[in-house]
Amino acid sequence: MITFSNVSLIYPQSTKTILEDLSFQIEEGEMVLVMGETGSGKSSLLRLINGLVPHHTGGILAGDISVDGISTRTVKPGSLAHLVGIVGQNPINGFVTDIVEEELAFSMEALNFAPDVMRKRVEEVLDLLSLSALRNRSIATLSGGEQQRLAIGAALVMHPKVLVLDEPTSALDPIAAEEVLSVLHRLVHDLSVTVIIAEHRLERVIQFVDRIIFIEGNGDTSIGTADEILKNSDLVPPIVKLARALNLSEIGTSVREVRRQTEDVRSKEYVRPSNTPTHTSTAIEISKVSHSYSGKTALNGVSASINHGEIVAIMGRNGAGKSTLLHSIVGLHSPQAGEIRVDGVDPTTLKGAERRKSIGYVPQEPSDLLFASTVSEECALADRSNDLTPGSTASLLNRLVPDISTHAHPNDLSEGQRLALVLSIVLSGNPEVLVLDEPTRGLDYRAKNLFAIALREYATQFNRPVLLATHDVELVAELADRVLFLAEGEIVADGTTLDVLLSSPAFAPQVAKVMSPKPWLTVSDVVHAIEGQS
Amino acid sequence: MKKPLHPLTLWICAILLAIGVVALDNAFIALAIVGAVALLVYIRRDGSPWQRSFALSIRIGLTILAIRTVVGILIGVPIPGTNLFTLPILDLPSWMPGIRIGGAVTLERLSSSLHEGVIIATMIALFGAATSLTSPHKLLRVTPSFIYEIGITLVIATSVFPQLATSARRIRTAQKLRGFEKLELRSIAIPLLEESLSRSLQLASAMDARGYGISRKRSRYRPIPWLMRDNLTLLFTSVLAVAMVTR
Amino acid sequence: MRTSGVFTFKGASLIALFLTSAISALGFLWPFLINEKQGHPQWIFLMATPFALLLLLISSSNNQLDSKSIALLAVLTALIAALRPMGTGAVGIEPMWFVLILSARVFGPSFGFLLGTLSMLLSAILTGGMGPWVAYQAFAAGWIGLGVALIPRSLRGKKEIFALVIYGILAAEFFGIAMDLQFWPWALGTDTQLSYLAGAPIAENLSRFFSYHFLSAMAWDIPRAIFTASLIAIAGKSILQTLRRAHTKAAFLTPIEFIEHVKVQKASN
Repeated sequence: MITFSNVSLIYPQSTKTILEDLSFQIEEGEMVLVMGETGSGKSSLLRLINGLVPHHTGGILAGDISVDGISTRTVKPGSLAHLVGIVGQNPINGFVTDIVEEELAFSMEALNFAPDVMRKRVEEVLDLLSLSALRNRSIATLSGGEQQRLAIGAALVMHPKVLVLDEPTSALDPIAAEEVLSVLHRLVHDLSVTVIIAEHRLERVIQFVDRIIFIEGNGDTSIGTADEILKNSDLVPPIVKLARALNLSEIGTSVREVRRQTEDVRSKEYVRPSNTPTHTSTAIEISKVSHSYSGKTALNGVSASINHGEIVAIMGRNGAGKSTLLHSIVGLHSPQAGEIRVDGVDPTTLKGAERRKSIGYVPQEPSDLLFASTVSEECALADRSNDLTPGSTASLLNRLVPDISTHAHPNDLSEGQRLALVLSIVLSGNPEVLVLDEPTRGLDYRAKNLFAIALREYATQFNRPVLLATHDVELVAELADRVLFLAEGEIVADGTTLDVLLSSPAFAPQVAKVMSPKPWLTVSDVVHAIEGQS
Repeated sequence: MKKPLHPLTLWICAILLAIGVVALDNAFIALAIVGAVALLVYIRRDGSPWQRSFALSIRIGLTILAIRTVVGILIGVPIPGTNLFTLPILDLPSWMPGIRIGGAVTLERLSSSLHEGVIIATMIALFGAATSLTSPHKLLRVTPSFIYEIGITLVIATSVFPQLATSARRIRTAQKLRGFEKLELRSIAIPLLEESLSRSLQLASAMDARGYGISRKRSRYRPIPWLMRDNLTLLFTSVLAVAMVTR
Repeated sequence: MRTSGVFTFKGASLIALFLTSAISALGFLWPFLINEKQGHPQWIFLMATPFALLLLLISSSNNQLDSKSIALLAVLTALIAALRPMGTGAVGIEPMWFVLILSARVFGPSFGFLLGTLSMLLSAILTGGMGPWVAYQAFAAGWIGLGVALIPRSLRGKKEIFALVIYGILAAEFFGIAMDLQFWPWALGTDTQLSYLAGAPIAENLSRFFSYHFLSAMAWDIPRAIFTASLIAIAGKSILQTLRRAHTKAAFLTPIEFIEHVKVQKASN
C-alpha cells in the first residue's frame, strides 16, 4: 500500500537531513506506529505520505514515495485526498466551518462531488463515528474527544485507504482516548484501512499496532514488529520496562500478554511496604467549596486539605470540574460558597509580586506566558520582575534542559523545552505553592522524566506542595503522593495514589493492570517488592 | 411562524424598501416601516450574537438624526417661517468661510432637518434588521461559486472570530496569575497573534490535504432552497416599493 | 518548482482593482466634481460602490487565493474585525489600523488590500453597523493596506518603524478624510452653510469641506493618528517579528526539488 524507496529529506533553509535513505513497505490493513523523540522528524514522515511535504512545505526530496501505486512526486496533496486522509495534532485548527455536518462535507464540496453522494457519505460517517446526535452542533461546543472523532470523520468521508494521525490522543482523557483508539482498531480490522499513527503515550497504543517505525535522535530509522523495536529502545512504555526488569523472555505489548508471563511473580506473597506516617502541616485548605457558572454546577461542596511537601494529582474526566477547582485554588475567582486558604491567605487577594511568591501557576498552554523574542530575553524578564540577579532564571532553566539554545525564539522550542522555560520562569518567583494544569501534553518519555524529577525536587527540597491537574496516569503513578478524583463537581476519591489508582480500572496504570491485585503502580514498586522478598 | 427564509430574501427586501422609502420621502411612513421592522426583529429573536445589529443600527440612526438636527439648527441655511426660538449668534474667525452659527430657528428649519434624518435613519434600520435576521453562516453558505474563495475566507473568519475572545481571555488569565496585573499590550497581543498565526498555518495544511484547490468547480452539500414563500415575500415587497416610488 | 506565493493582484484582477478603485474614488469625490442638479449622484454612487466592491471581490476569487493565503487572510481578518468594536466607545481608539498596516507590510500590499476590505465587511456582518457606508469603508481600508507599497521593501529596523509610524499617521488622517467625504452629504444634507454646493467651483466646495472636516478631525482623526502611531512605535518591532516568522513558516515560494541522491550530511549539531 505505501512504499518508501530510499527517501531522504532536507528542508531548504537548513543543513540538517531530516530523514536519510529510508526504505520500507506498509501493507494494506496494517496499523503502524511512528515513534521518536520530539523534533525527530515524525511529523515530516507522516506528511510525506500524502505529499504535503514537499508540495505544501517546500523541501528537497530524494527517493520516491508511492501510495497504492501513485507516486507523491507527480500529484498535489489534494489529489491524494481519496487515498490518504490526514488528521493533525489540534483538530480544531483544521476545521473550516462551524457546524459538524457541514465540516464533514467540506472535502467533498471542494472536489465537486455530486450532492447525493455527499449526503450518503456524511450519513455513513456520522453513524460510523457515533456523531449522529451531534450533527447540527456548533464545533466549538464539542468536547475534545468529539472534535477528534469529527476530524477523523472529515478524513473518512473520502473513503481513504490510508489514515494518518499525528498524536490523536494527547489532549484526551483515558476514556476518550480509548474510544478513539477503538474506532481506529475497527477501521483497521473491519474496513482494512491502513492506519499510521504517531504517538508519545506509547502505553495507550502499543497493544493495537502491528509494526513500529522508530526514528532515532541521530536520524537512523528502524522498522519492525513491536517486539523487535522495543527490545532495545530507550523509549518504552511501562509494561516493556516491567518485562525487562523481570527478565521476561518475551516483550509483551498488551496487558494480557504480560500478565500471562508474570503469573508466578504475582502468586507469591510480599511484604507490604510500610507506610511511613507523614506529619506535615496543611498548606492549602479547601472547605465546602461550591461554584457554578452559566447555570451549570461546576463544583459542589468540595473539601480537601493539601499538606506541605505533598504532590497531589487532581484527576477526572473532562468537564468534571478540575479546571474550576484549580482556578478557585489559585484565586482566579472567589468560590460562591465555602472558602479556600493558601498558607492562611485568601488567594483572590494576591496581586503582583506577592502572588508570584505565593502561588506559581503553569497554565495549560505554556506559551500564554511567553512574549519575548528569545529565551534569554524571557529569562531576563523573569529576573527583573522578581528582583533576582541576572542569570538566575537562565541557570535554573539550564539545570532542567542543559542543551537549550538561548537565542531560540520561545515558540520554536520543542514542547518539553517550552514547558521547562515556563517552569523556570514560574519557579524564579520562588513560590510557596506550585500549581500545574495538564503539563505533560505532547511530552515524550524522556522529557516527562526530567520534568517529574524537577517537581519531586521542588516538593521535597523546599517542603512545598505541588498540585497537578492531569490525565496522565503513568505520570501520576510515578510522581504523585495523593490523588483527588473529581466527578461532576464532587470529590469521589481522596487518598494515596496507591489506593485511588488501584480502585479505578479506567485510570489504573499499566503496571497495576498487569499486576492486579497486587498493590503496585510502577516498575520500581515491583522491583522493590521482589528485592524486599529476597 | 419561525419558518426559514432564504438568507438573501430579507436583504433584497431591505434594498427594495430602502429605495421605496427614499423615493417616497415621507417621514411618517418611514417611521411606520421602522416600527413594523422592529416588531419583526423582536418576534424572531433567538439569542444569536448578530441580533444586536438592529439595536446598534437604531442607535446609529438616532445619532445621525441628532447630528442632522443640531447641525441644521446651528448652521443651516435658514428657512423662513414660524420662529421657534433664537440662538445667540457666534461669529467665527475670518479664515473659516463666513459661517454664522446661531440665529433664528424656525419650525420649518427644524422639521426639515428632522425629516431628512428620519429617512436616513430608516434606511439604516432596514439594513440593520436584515443583518439581525440573517445568520452570517447561512449567508455565507449561499455565496455563489464565482466568489468561492472570498466566501471560504469569510466562512473561516466567522468561525475563528468567537474563538479569539476565548483565547484572549485565557491568555489574560495566565498573565494575571503570573502577577502581571496591568493590562499590557505586548503580553496579550503577542501570544494571541502567535497562536492565531500558527493556527492558520495548520488550517492551510489541512485544507490542502483535504483537496482544496484541486478542482475548479465546486458542489454544494445542502443548498438552501429558494421556496415559494421567498417568492411571495419578494413579490409583496416589490409591489410595496413600486407603490412608494410611483406615488 | 516552488510552492505558491502570497496573493497578489495581477492581470485581470489588477485591472479590476484600478477600475473599481476609480469608481469608488468617484463615489467619495462626487460633491466636488458633479453637478447634482443632473441626476441623483448620491444614490447612484451608493449603488455603484458596493457593486464595484463585489466586482473586485469576484475578480480576486481566483487561483491565486490558495489555502495559505486564505487561511492567513481569514485569521487576520477575524482578528482585525474583533479589534474594531473596541473603537465604538472611546473616539479614535482603534487598534485595528496598526495590525492592518503591519500585516500589509509583511504579507504584501495586495494581501493588505484584501485584508482591509474583508475585515470591514466582516465587522459589518458580525457586529452590526451594516449601512450605506460599508462599501466605502471597505475601499478606504483596502487602500490603506495597499498603500503600504509606498514604503521601500528593503527598509528594516528603526528606519522601518519610523516609516510605518509616519504611514500610520497619514493613514489615520486619510481614513478620517475618506469617512468625512462620504458622510458629508448624509450628515449635512444640502442646505446648511457647510454643505456642498451643487455646481459650485471646486475651491468653494473644498473650503466648505475642510471646515466641516476640521471639526471631526479634532474629535476622531487626531486621537486615531496618535493612537495608531503609538501602537506602531511601541509594539511594532515585536509584531513585525511575529508576522515575519509566520511568513517564513508558511513556506511561500519555497523550492521543491526532487533529486536522485542526496549528499549525506550527518547532523553534527
